[in-house]
Amino acid sequence: MTATCPSGHTSATADYCDQCGAPIGALAVPHQPTVELPVLEEIETAPSEVREPCPACGAPRSGDDRYCEGCGHDFLAPPPQKTDWEAVVSADRTQFERLQADGIAFPGDHREQRFALDAPLMRIGRQRGRAGQPPLEIDLTGAPEDPGISRLHAALERRADGGYAIRDLGSTNGTMLNDDPAPLGRDTAVPLVDGDRIRIGAWTTIIVRSR
Amino acid sequence: MSTFEVEVFQNEYLPAGGTEVNAIVTVSSAGVTGTGDAPDAAEIVIVDTSGSMDVPRAKMQAARDATAVAIDCIRDGVLFGLIAGNERARHVYPSGRGLEPASEQSRAAAKQAVGKLKAGGGTAIGTWLRAANDAFAAAAGRVCHAILLTDGANQHETREQLEATLAVCEGRFQCDCRGVGTDWEVSELRRIASVLLGSVDIIADPAEMAADFRSMTEVAMGKTTGSVSLRIWTPQGARVQFVRQVAPTVEELTGRATVAKPLTADYPTGSWGEESRDYQVCIEVPMHQVGDEMLAARVGLLHGEEVLSQGLIKAIWTSDQQLSTQISREVAHYTGQAELAECIQEGLEARKAGDNATATFKLGRAVQLAAASGNDGTMKLLAAVVDVEDPATGTVRLRSEIADVDEMALDTRSTRTVRVGPGA
Repeated sequence: MTATCPSGHTSATADYCDQCGAPIGALAVPHQPTVELPVLEEIETAPSEVREPCPACGAPRSGDDRYCEGCGHDFLAPPPQKTDWEAVVSADRTQFERLQADGIAFPGDHREQRFALDAPLMRIGRQRGRAGQPPLEIDLTGAPEDPGISRLHAALERRADGGYAIRDLGSTNGTMLNDDPAPLGRDTAVPLVDGDRIRIGAWTTIIVRSR
Repeated sequence: MSTFEVEVFQNEYLPAGGTEVNAIVTVSSAGVTGTGDAPDAAEIVIVDTSGSMDVPRAKMQAARDATAVAIDCIRDGVLFGLIAGNERARHVYPSGRGLEPASEQSRAAAKQAVGKLKAGGGTAIGTWLRAANDAFAAAAGRVCHAILLTDGANQHETREQLEATLAVCEGRFQCDCRGVGTDWEVSELRRIASVLLGSVDIIADPAEMAADFRSMTEVAMGKTTGSVSLRIWTPQGARVQFVRQVAPTVEELTGRATVAKPLTADYPTGSWGEESRDYQVCIEVPMHQVGDEMLAARVGLLHGEEVLSQGLIKAIWTSDQQLSTQISREVAHYTGQAELAECIQEGLEARKAGDNATATFKLGRAVQLAAASGNDGTMKLLAAVVDVEDPATGTVRLRSEIADVDEMALDTRSTRTVRVGPGA
């Protein structure tokens, strides 16, 4: 026994079409193909109150529809939460003057560096001379270079909630957070909030931002 | 032959624009009673007799004892044989290339041969498997199973030679692999067991070997239906993203598909006794309109030419977010279990490469997943490798001294999963 699905396929299975998977018997007259996408006509004929196109896929929005016909975007949903984090690395004179590390000068022309936190694990350090190792996600090698940073100093780790935590990986000179002069415990993950300042080396400050 | 039952767990509702359908398929088979002594099986024990098996001496003795125990568990009428391996393979029992039907006399003769096994020479596992494959030729149509015991890495043949042998043996017989001591390669035995649809495990203490051999042989004797495949039909325009076994262990099957006919592919699952296994199936389907329903896949059990039982994976598009955003409890659970196995393997890999930061991160995540899913077995193994500070957040500290045996036990058993717990 064969059946015919709403799209006109001949199917050896009687529950769902063995070609396209459509339920058989969804239509009273089996041989008539379904009239597809009647919605398109509605868009054209609807008294057009011109609305912004869908921000997700660009399809025109008809009337007061809550959901986009093209991609299903919910027009009433709150804008998606931007959970993108970034780390802004800069030289901090206050920190430098407080530490007063011997024989180290404050860099004259330090440019701010930005790193998007786009991996679950962002390791911070100075890679130099470590050929064959996987490259660090945040490599602070290069002039002006802060000699107080260990080769593998600390890591930013993504947390279940999408945020990040800082963990000192056994650095020589420690990792400090904000204005707390005490270094973080070795191998202890400390969750971060937007705007936290991670201080490492003689003058390096890493500000984490949730964009 | 067994009877099979297929059950599908999924949230069939997709949001508008959604195209990914995930489901857990539970396959249970009930062994047929009354034919329990059906001798439609063949069993070969492959014992490593390389020189290192004598260091310490207890290892070779334990292997002899365990092999004798396994022989005792072989039912009357089952064809069996014994192969000793070093850089070559030797048919120890029967002395020819074939197999012998088990009986009081043949078991006694085989055990006598086992007693004479001596250690010496190298390790070329592929030659042992080839010898087993040759011997199984005498058992066509039977459920063929082998136990492979080794204590060392495959040093006396190339990776390519072993792969070529595996390609020959694939689908011919199943093989459970055991490594004794800590000088063998986890990835090597896992690869063999994976292609030959068997298990892999470490025998840390030679004293445990006999019990393990007994249980492996008993399980093998309980297999009543050989060469069963998962047959998956998907509609035009759909694509199978992945198919993997997720219980009792994680085993990737996606790449093992053979196309049976258009829209239909078969995935090997080996032989079945009275047992239950779970599979995760992920299908990408063509986008439909809200309100539409379609069949995303038909999953059946194929034995010979016959589909024994089947389940349906469906997709229904809805604008009701309450419905479409729910993730099936089973799918969520096993997605976590698969990630757990992956985190452990990647974490141990990173540790070996000297990248302790990645290792700590991955193993921390593994602890978190094991704790959340109640996988106590894996949790215990993880605790031998990391100090757990807070399982809920996955805060761990990598131990500075890790015993090889703990690391290898964690690695080999990383793929073991637990089933969905009762209640939410």
